[in-house]
Amino acid sequence: MLLFDHVSKSFGDLRAVDDLSFELEAGEVFGLLGPNGAGKTTAINMAVGLLEPDEGVVRFAGETFDRDPREAENRQALGLAPQSIALYEEMSSADNLRFFGRLHGLKGPDLEERVAACLDFADLTDVRKKSVSKYSGGMKRRLNLAVAIIHDPDLVLLDEPTVGVDPQSRNAIFDRVEQLRDDGKQIVYTTHYMEEAQRLCDRVAIMDRGRLMALDTVRALIEAYGGPGKLAVRTGDKESIHDTTDPLGTLAQLQERETVEHFQYRPPDLETVFLNLTGRALRD
Amino acid sequence: MSKIVAMAAKDIWILFRDKLGFFFTVFFPLMMAIFFGAMFANLSRGPANIPVALVDEDRTAGSERFVTRLEAAGGLELEQLPREQALEQVRRGQTAVMVTLSPGFGAAMDNPFQTTPRVELAVDPTQFAAAGMTRGILLETAGAELQALMADSARIQATNDRNRRLIEQFTPPSAARDDFLTFIELSSRVSTLVEQLGLDGNATNAVTGGFGPPLEIGQTEVQAERRGPTNSYASSFPQAMLWVLIGGSVSFSMSIAIERSRGTLMRLLVSPITTRHLLAAKGLACLTTTLVTSTALITLGITVFRVKPTSYPLLALALLCASICFCGIMMALSVIGKTEQAAAGVGWGLALPFSMLGGGMVPLFLMPEWMQRLGNISPMKWTLMAYEGAIWRGFTLTEMLLPCAVLLTIGVVAFAIGARNLRWHTG
Repeated sequence: MLLFDHVSKSFGDLRAVDDLSFELEAGEVFGLLGPNGAGKTTAINMAVGLLEPDEGVVRFAGETFDRDPREAENRQALGLAPQSIALYEEMSSADNLRFFGRLHGLKGPDLEERVAACLDFADLTDVRKKSVSKYSGGMKRRLNLAVAIIHDPDLVLLDEPTVGVDPQSRNAIFDRVEQLRDDGKQIVYTTHYMEEAQRLCDRVAIMDRGRLMALDTVRALIEAYGGPGKLAVRTGDKESIHDTTDPLGTLAQLQERETVEHFQYRPPDLETVFLNLTGRALRD
Repeated sequence: MSKIVAMAAKDIWILFRDKLGFFFTVFFPLMMAIFFGAMFANLSRGPANIPVALVDEDRTAGSERFVTRLEAAGGLELEQLPREQALEQVRRGQTAVMVTLSPGFGAAMDNPFQTTPRVELAVDPTQFAAAGMTRGILLETAGAELQALMADSARIQATNDRNRRLIEQFTPPSAARDDFLTFIELSSRVSTLVEQLGLDGNATNAVTGGFGPPLEIGQTEVQAERRGPTNSYASSFPQAMLWVLIGGSVSFSMSIAIERSRGTLMRLLVSPITTRHLLAAKGLACLTTTLVTSTALITLGITVFRVKPTSYPLLALALLCASICFCGIMMALSVIGKTEQAAAGVGWGLALPFSMLGGGMVPLFLMPEWMQRLGNISPMKWTLMAYEGAIWRGFTLTEMLLPCAVLLTIGVVAFAIGARNLRWHTG
């Protein structure tokens, strides 16, 4: 559905995206994971045709990937929820949806049907006539997501959709992303929260300073780059941390020598994958 | 205290990092100071020459002498024209005042004891200040001419001789006639004595005073003879309609900055629409708003304030051309300021000086000539000309073509610049 083929993009001396290649598979949630400045948003902007690659090509749709997102009519198949909330706050949620629906060629009963479905998706039906300026941050985030799917696109790009929301609203957004996946949408999901990538994404591309560091399923990435887990053990007044890929075996060995009063095991995750790949923490 | 200083230093640093903010804080006031300085420097030397169309229907030595003296007096930029042509110039706004020296003017100047010389002014109703200054210069010139007459014994003798002959011809001998002839003889001697004593102008005034004003000035507005404003609202409504355009274009110029800052511009650009669609939509919104608002305003003027346009089709044409012009300007402005504040600053920062240059705030004749010429680059000047042409100047279609062509050209060029820059800004 979406193809990046050796894509690069620079802004002056800054190489924001450097030789990025990947291809989305059918029905998957594809994660772009990396810290701020990794090049995720630049990649998204190229995917929706807002930016033109300096090198390489971005194509989408069909087996032959023959459509250029820079062509306006091709963008009908794309839906973008930008990182910042992009809504007309003076208008109601229903009117925002109607407006963007019309831009995508919807009208009449089809438009009203999609507006109702999107309001329901965002759980905003009861407040559909209220002006968006009166919404909470979480409600705006949900509407921001709903506007991206008003025209029922096949490919939905979500650029850091949980930035600045409380845990409850974040969970609500996770539910909706999973709902979209269940509806058969292909989703590109950018985030710098490894927990989100780990929970939602079938495959994850780890990016740092514009470069693709690794790309695979979460499990495969952890197996390949996660290294051993961390086993923290307290015996008497002594605490120690042990690197291990077999925490139970390690624990049994320790028990043979001394009494383990308390232990905690932290398996490798995407954070450690990123650390091992780049030498830096994800939130640096 | 150190915290306050630190915060103040931070704010100043931010201001100077913001190039547009810095421009409006430092360079814009400087620009205004230079503008007003140039204008008032000119005023301190007296206003720029007022364009005056002079119609000399007398064509005598007396009238020509007056015209020569008037030219030498300064303050007026005289152009001698036939009556119809002069009126046309005033009607079109190319000349502020028409001065007519009717037949008999020269004779009256030569014989002020018999008849007070009279001139007629035809005035553009929006140029009363220019008319007032013209009256002053005419009176001053006539006074100087009278002084010269009183100090010229040969001319006064010739006038007295002619008057004596007329009195002797038309009145029978009597004591009263003899007294009057004696008075005439004495007035000849006064002028001889003035000449012999070499008295200056003030002294001559003192000696010859009591004759009353040296000149009678009649004044009519142009509409007394040709179509013109039916009332003062016909002059004020074009100005108000101009400000509708300025306000509308500045407001809409902010809209793209607003779309950008709230992120909806990105969303629009991701929709299956082209930049051309976006530009067309913005232009249409601006055009519709300015057209509807201007039309509502002039409708109010017509229905409530008795403004009577001389041509409704030409008014519609003027409204359309001016709206297109200002929509183009809106587009050019909209891509200059990246934030709402910057867009508003740029909009008003340009609107105010262009309004001044275009005569929207200060009458053009008060400005130095170079500034008046510079006013031709102001769309406000051409907008006012088009509106006034349709509302009260009685322009023909041919006359309306020039301001409309200028407005359309400015609009199209500005729109093209804005469109090109918007494409550049949006990648």
